[in-house]
Amino acid sequence: MRALVVGGSGSGKSAYAERLVARLSPHRTYVATMRDDGPEASERILRHRSQRAGLGFITVECPDSLMAACQGSTDGVVLVDDLGNLVANALFAPDGTMADAQTVLERLLREIDTLSQSYQHVVLVGNEVGAEGRYPYAETNAWVRVIGALNCRIAASFDEVTEVVSGIACPVKGVLA
Amino acid sequence: MILVVGGLASGKRSYVRSLGYDDEQMGSNVWDGNPVLVELEELLRTGPLDDAAFAHVASRDVVCCCEVGMGVVPMDAGERIWRERVGRTCGKLASEATRVVRMVCGIPTIIKDGDIA
Repeated sequence: MRALVVGGSGSGKSAYAERLVARLSPHRTYVATMRDDGPEASERILRHRSQRAGLGFITVECPDSLMAACQGSTDGVVLVDDLGNLVANALFAPDGTMADAQTVLERLLREIDTLSQSYQHVVLVGNEVGAEGRYPYAETNAWVRVIGALNCRIAASFDEVTEVVSGIACPVKGVLA
Repeated sequence: MILVVGGLASGKRSYVRSLGYDDEQMGSNVWDGNPVLVELEELLRTGPLDDAAFAHVASRDVVCCCEVGMGVVPMDAGERIWRERVGRTCGKLASEATRVVRMVCGIPTIIKDGDIA
């Protein structure tokens, strides 16, 4: 089963995705996407790790590419949290330069395909960030557009799409929708 | 008229294409004569639609508008007035629309169809 979970900041999308993963398989891989680029990030990473402690996850750090997570057991489930970090890390280099948006989009879609072939179940946590329309910054708009396009392309091929609103899972596509 | 709302890059134009319209039939001016109006939110930058313009917009086959107003209230007063205007205009159009579609991840979610709303 392949599921995409989207929602705004603090909507409860990660918690819902973790509950979904727990139902799918006891063999759980967690793909962490944050780039450890300073004390604030390090602190967040540690907090997330302690939140996941006891949930039975093997954690793979993949801030730049999903390929490191593509050697998993085929009977297991993989959780990627979240796509927004992956897009930001792929789009914006630490030196301040920006990559080509289309290239980033196609690469991430290919990596998601490879990931889908490596695991029985895939759960991706995406982001709903287009809701404020355009932003006054070209970089932000590029990020929003890649995330939007990624959501559309993933949703077209995945089995289930869920939007989490105030902690409530609203079915958009799949058996519940 | 079908009103299509959704965030930036949420798949609004793809949905309109699935209805049978091509890109040449989509325009972003009130009076351009195209069956599909896109980027309504940008039309509202300079001010609200007057009655004649609103009636003309509402007579289109399809109107697409970026859903705004769900994020942080902008610091800039002009931006605040604009997003309020976009929301109010969409509400008025939705009340006249035969169908209202909200795009989520490229998937149309029908939030109004016919008289059932």
